[in-house]
Amino acid sequence: MPPEPVRSLYIHVPFCAHKCEYCAFYSAPPGGDQVQRYVAALVRELEWISDDCRPDTVFFGGGTPSLLTLAQWETVLGAMHRLGLAGPAEWTVECNPATVSADKARLLRDAGVNRISMGVQSFDGALLERLGRIHTRDQVFRSFDILRQAGFSNVNIDLMFAIPGQTLDVWRSTIAEALRLGTEHLSCYEVIYEDDTPLYEQLKAGQFDVDEDLTCTMYDELVDRLADAGFRQYEIANFARSVPGESPDAIPSRACRHNVGYWRGRDSYGLGPSASEYVRGLRARNWANTTLYCEQLERGRRAKEFAEALSPLARAGELAAFGLRMNAGWPFAEFRERTGFDLKTGWAEEIRNLCARGWGEVTDTAFRLTRSGLRFADTAAALMLRPEAPASENARPSAGSRIPLKAA
Amino acid sequence: MDAAHIRNFSIIAHIDHGKTTLSDRLLHRTGTVATRDMEEQLLDAMDLEKERGITIKAHPVTMIYRARNGEDYELNLIDTPGHVDFAYEVSRSLSACEGALLIIDAAQGVEAQTVANVHLAMKQNLHIIPVINKIDLPHANIPQAKQQLEDIIAIPAEEAVLASAKEGIGIEDILEAIVQRVPAPKPTGEKSLQALIFDSYFDTYKGVVILVRVFNGELRPGMMVKLPHSGKTVEIKEVGSFKPKPYTREKLEVGETGYITANIKSPREVKVGDTILDSRNPAAELPGFQEIHPMVFSGIYPINTADYEALKQSMAKLQLNDSALTFQTESSAALGFGLRCGFLGLLHMEIVQERLRREFDMDIIATYPSVVYRVRMTDGVEKEVDNPAFLPDVTYIDTIFEPVVKAFVICPSENIGDLMGLISEKRGVINQTETIDSRRVMLTCRIPMNEILIDFHDRIKSITRGYGSMDYEPDGYEGSEMVKLDMLVNGEVMDAFSSLVHRSKAENRGRTLAAKLKDVIPKQQFQVAIQAAIGGKIIARETVSAMRKDVTAKCYGGDISRKRKLLEKQKEGKKRMKSMGSVDIPQEAFIEVLKTS
Repeated sequence: MPPEPVRSLYIHVPFCAHKCEYCAFYSAPPGGDQVQRYVAALVRELEWISDDCRPDTVFFGGGTPSLLTLAQWETVLGAMHRLGLAGPAEWTVECNPATVSADKARLLRDAGVNRISMGVQSFDGALLERLGRIHTRDQVFRSFDILRQAGFSNVNIDLMFAIPGQTLDVWRSTIAEALRLGTEHLSCYEVIYEDDTPLYEQLKAGQFDVDEDLTCTMYDELVDRLADAGFRQYEIANFARSVPGESPDAIPSRACRHNVGYWRGRDSYGLGPSASEYVRGLRARNWANTTLYCEQLERGRRAKEFAEALSPLARAGELAAFGLRMNAGWPFAEFRERTGFDLKTGWAEEIRNLCARGWGEVTDTAFRLTRSGLRFADTAAALMLRPEAPASENARPSAGSRIPLKAA
Repeated sequence: MDAAHIRNFSIIAHIDHGKTTLSDRLLHRTGTVATRDMEEQLLDAMDLEKERGITIKAHPVTMIYRARNGEDYELNLIDTPGHVDFAYEVSRSLSACEGALLIIDAAQGVEAQTVANVHLAMKQNLHIIPVINKIDLPHANIPQAKQQLEDIIAIPAEEAVLASAKEGIGIEDILEAIVQRVPAPKPTGEKSLQALIFDSYFDTYKGVVILVRVFNGELRPGMMVKLPHSGKTVEIKEVGSFKPKPYTREKLEVGETGYITANIKSPREVKVGDTILDSRNPAAELPGFQEIHPMVFSGIYPINTADYEALKQSMAKLQLNDSALTFQTESSAALGFGLRCGFLGLLHMEIVQERLRREFDMDIIATYPSVVYRVRMTDGVEKEVDNPAFLPDVTYIDTIFEPVVKAFVICPSENIGDLMGLISEKRGVINQTETIDSRRVMLTCRIPMNEILIDFHDRIKSITRGYGSMDYEPDGYEGSEMVKLDMLVNGEVMDAFSSLVHRSKAENRGRTLAAKLKDVIPKQQFQVAIQAAIGGKIIARETVSAMRKDVTAKCYGGDISRKRKLLEKQKEGKKRMKSMGSVDIPQEAFIEVLKTS
């Protein structure tokens, strides 16, 4: 009996016309025939996992997936249909507002893509420039109209706050404009200063200061304004427009199911350079180097840079930690089903500790963080982690595992 | 050699005034060291220091000089540590001599350090031969140097020998002056052996090498001798002198200097200033012995707490050749395990810290130094307190006495106003202002020792753009309004920051420290109060506002393993933090403040 196939699939498209100042994700400008080569390699990787994957969520992230040409998309989409990977209940593609065209939108929609996530970041022209974004404010509205006309009824936009130079007023009007646009979903990220990004270098060089207080105020403002506008927060950074009749305790129906899968610990394949996956106890990551990625696949193997086998307890601790980032917290039954451990008894001390601080609450069926607890979800997460370290980096899968892992 | 043909002398000089060059010239002129060996000799000595980690602080050298009268004389040069931190050791070295050369730089004139050392030599009744050195320099000002000699040191100018050690000018005159003016040693007239221990060092093979000057009787191998202050009786194994390398001799007689070994393994068993006596027929001790007492204390902690054992071992090694250094284990809630160390003075403290860093590669942090206070309790009992943490409860204290020094500050005339301001800021009183020459003045002042611990010397240097100089000598104790300043975090005392300060300065220091701590203590999930307190009374307060969130609204994609590792690292880090008043404070925060206060 083959095991249940994996239900979630992530595909990384590692190309950007221009690298943004804050971005630490892997991407490079599309050069020469590299995109073509990547598409071919990706098709090979899709073929590799197709037997073990029947996705009900697919997510194309980047980089800039919308940078692929119509012909390249046709190749990828064609392969997915051929391999039985198409037709998931939720199929998201990330787009840059500068690279959305009516043709491409229609092609994606016709192939079964039903959700678009657009990296808007800001509605302020000066800040867009500050971040190194290639699109303009006007392109956001134009692209949104194109997507709607192509039939996308589930659209997310990404916004950023705590951008150097961003005032509370600018942030307020960005929130207001985002709400006026009328998307179904909003993801709002805080600027993070990651190593090796231009923004981090500028911070280190003292070109600006970080104002933590302002960041908090912006976050509070965000949570309040979106609640007023009928959005439901379901994770630290994620908000879904509520649908009449849905249960206020459950995860909203317009939540990004693919991401919810991550927080809930669902197995998921990750394809493309730098993509991470978690399949049957083994976490692995592809090389963050497109050439190397292509070479490996051309030689008939997957391009894994790293793999670790997590013990069941360590994995449970990780899920206990990250699941709390969701407003719904962890339903006890689901945690047990997912991890094999009992949250209520196994984490009794931590739960008591968090409740005593006013950060956690226990209902009949679940443990979750309160509004103030969600502000300290990092401390809460650190508490829930289980110290047992993963076996080792570059660990080989345990005997009997059928995960192909030929390349180190 | 008969005592009439022996001369024991030392050299007093300000740093860079030519002491080393002159010593070398004397060794060369007397044929003690051949020209071609000269460099080699010096290198040898340095290698020895490096290899064995020893510092020969008061290395005596024996020279044979044929004087103009045709007779041979044994001249013993007893080198002394140049700084009054080692005042007691200097005084013992000086008391092994009958005379001293006082070197004055013809261009720079008298310096503060020179004055302090001459005072010590005069106290020992040494005959002082002034040498005006560097007379070959184009900006040498001999008349001015002579004038200063008369005005500041009160020695007739005509006694000065003019020399240039570098050019070899006046060397013969110096040697003749030593023969003619320095008195020959005389037996004390006691019934048996009396030999003064003026220093010692540790040799891996021979054990402790004791440097001695014979005042009465003689020292031979095989003799049983007594060291009264160590309470030990030992058999002499070896007797010798330095040329400058050690060589063995049959005996050391009245007036001679050299060394003995006696299979002594612990340097602590040999006390500088002790008298070596015949064990069967002991004579009286020579006067002037003192137990060495550290003047300045400070906690030394390894930055990496795991290095504590290594620190302890390094200190023990240093102590082998620095018996004045004391240490004992102490622990601080903030800094973990460390050593409470006692030093003779500021320079000594700096030297030890520097050697720990350089020679032993230790990464250390020192707590705010403290002098030794005398505390008279209400019941009349007196106690010494060298660590503010152990100050008795104020209700039982009658009076606190603080050590005071006599400081000599020499500065350009135009800086006198600023320096007077500095001295009064440091609670000092200027007793005397003397004009040294047309450019410089010397201020003699009485100043609490704890005020010169931190930045006094640096401030003098910066006010005078490097031209000022300062030295000091202990000058007793004085009743003083000292208070214990504590720093509290959410109500809990942070021991590493407790200090005894004068009441007039407590508030200011408390404010400064609180502000610094505020900058380094990370925000917590609750408000943190940082307070400065005297007794129970809060005199300053800063507040670290509560963190409003610690979570970041970040996009993780599918890669939560990086975040997990980050959280695990933070969790590990938190374990290493010191929890005070339930506030988690990284050790680096303490170190940051200690470095700058």
